[in-house]
Amino acid sequence: MPMTMMLKGKLKLPEKARRVFPDRLGSLVAGFDDNKDDKGGPDQLIESGEELETFQPNGFGLDREFDEDYDDDDGKSDGELDLRVRQKPDKEAVASVSVSEIIAADEKRSDLEYELSQKEINLEKLQRIACSGLPNEGGSRATAWKLLLGYLPASRDLWDKELTENRLKYAKLKEELLLSPSESSRKKDGLNSNEQHADSDVDGPLERHDVSHEDHPLNLGKASVWHQYFQFAEITEQIDRDLQRTHPDMKFFAGDSSLSRKNREAMRNILLLFAKLNPAIRYVQGMNEVLAPIYYVFSSDTDEQNAASAEADSFSCFVRLLSDSVDHFCQQLDNSAVGIHSTLSHLSELLKTNDEELWRHLQFTTKVNPQFYAFRWITLLLTQEFDFHSILRIWDSLLSNPFGVQEMLLRVCCAMLLCVKSRLLSGDFIANLKLLQHYPEINIEYLLQVAQDISPDTSSFRPSL
Amino acid sequence: MVLVLAIGDLHIPHRAPDLPAKFKSMLVPGKIQHIICTGNLCIKEVHDYLKSLCPSLHITRGEYDEDARYPETKTLTIGQFKLGLCHGHQVVPWGDLDSLAMLQRQLDVDILVSGHTHQFKAYKHEGGVVINPGSATGAYSSITYEVNPSFVLMDIDGLRVVVYVYELIDGEVKVDKIDFKKTATASTNPTD
Repeated sequence: MPMTMMLKGKLKLPEKARRVFPDRLGSLVAGFDDNKDDKGGPDQLIESGEELETFQPNGFGLDREFDEDYDDDDGKSDGELDLRVRQKPDKEAVASVSVSEIIAADEKRSDLEYELSQKEINLEKLQRIACSGLPNEGGSRATAWKLLLGYLPASRDLWDKELTENRLKYAKLKEELLLSPSESSRKKDGLNSNEQHADSDVDGPLERHDVSHEDHPLNLGKASVWHQYFQFAEITEQIDRDLQRTHPDMKFFAGDSSLSRKNREAMRNILLLFAKLNPAIRYVQGMNEVLAPIYYVFSSDTDEQNAASAEADSFSCFVRLLSDSVDHFCQQLDNSAVGIHSTLSHLSELLKTNDEELWRHLQFTTKVNPQFYAFRWITLLLTQEFDFHSILRIWDSLLSNPFGVQEMLLRVCCAMLLCVKSRLLSGDFIANLKLLQHYPEINIEYLLQVAQDISPDTSSFRPSL
Repeated sequence: MVLVLAIGDLHIPHRAPDLPAKFKSMLVPGKIQHIICTGNLCIKEVHDYLKSLCPSLHITRGEYDEDARYPETKTLTIGQFKLGLCHGHQVVPWGDLDSLAMLQRQLDVDILVSGHTHQFKAYKHEGGVVINPGSATGAYSSITYEVNPSFVLMDIDGLRVVVYVYELIDGEVKVDKIDFKKTATASTNPTD
């Protein structure tokens, strides 16, 4: 296809799905009329591709508001100021939209594959491709996520070495920390097993070994393996309970099949290991939800070896992902500068910067404070607010944000508020709380687009154009 | 990994007021999955105490137990092992291995736990294992006054049982460990 050849290698992002325009997005996007004049239609693909070329030298990081341009190519009229201009393409291009969507999706996939097959992965490029969504099938999402989280290095040559090293480390950790005391004593006694076999055929009193100064199950000493085991028994129970409740509608996680049991066991190992290695936070309810998408994506990798080592890889990536937001889980840090309350106030500020009317309504009129609804959004990275595949799509954007997961997360949260603005404005405390705690279904691409368009909160970032 | 506490012959309140303090401090709820008790508690309070340690409580009747509803014998399967429970005063001569082996064959179990003699014993005999946890309070028996308080904790893990014997000797807790493996051929039931 001529189009593909022309555009190969250039930054190419697919059009977004059609969406309803938000109330006030117009005033957000100032000064980008260049790309905005494009109307819909596949012919425009070529031209917008050319135009994008000129923006590239500016670099991705220099001006965030340009991000939205990259997402907006294909001439699909997106993120425009003028409502009027927008309506027309929607009506005209109904038929050609699906065709160009398919073409765009194919091209995105080939771009993604091209990028992932490079010897030296360009992380910036990958971020750009990923933030417009990764394909659900195949192993590219798993690989992309591993790269975005920094688990895999950018040089493809180092992958094998890194992976084997990490997987070995994980296996060792498991052996060290997750063995039950009887298993570890069995291993220790394995050396003496030959003697015991000789005795076991002979009748008579059974041989006794004095272990008064060694370990035994009722040992109360802190150094006792048994004592430590029982201390974690409660946490293990809690983890098991939470795992039973993870995504009960998905066969992958729930039910009695051997597959789901195996998955739950793998996830339990990961969470328990994390709890043991981080005594300050241990396990907090909800960590299972943060782990679930990672483990799912890695297990569904089409590469068999990767899928088999999903547990080890998920552990590392889970730790990396959580290291960003681990302070949110620590109760002592709640009121500190890095705690959850501080993050919630950032969210408030962000909303205030972007939509003061809504902010005022929520904050003062209906007194719906962020801690009533956003606590779960932020600590669990939105895993409880949307269906599973939407979560994966949102996480594509979260993980590919060059400014970090938390930054994008706050924007998405703010966008969630903006997108139901009219309902919020007309609701009281109870109605608003109910709405936000059971967030309604929404077009995810639209939500993410709104999130991209959000002006940053100037207190923490330098002002945009 | 299943922890099973074998305990009995406490004779509270007739022959002993309570468990030794050192034993009591070790026996905390949450660690043990099953308790099998040979009998002669003798009163309900002891029953309640044991129940608080672990909800899965199995008791057989000793001749001094006040609750007449306990059964004479009991069998249960834990993991790969079949355990039999009986107080032991019914097996005459008391503590005789051959007679106990007869009971074991009758109940068709791998491990027979019985008491009455107030002496800890762990024997391999005629294809099965007989364990006597002794008296947890050190109460005097029909045979002797010299009784060390003792009880038994079994760690059943697959085909292997690790038996931990806790004895109070001269005021100190002594712990012994016994390893026991079940081999496929040792099973008395051919349909196993």
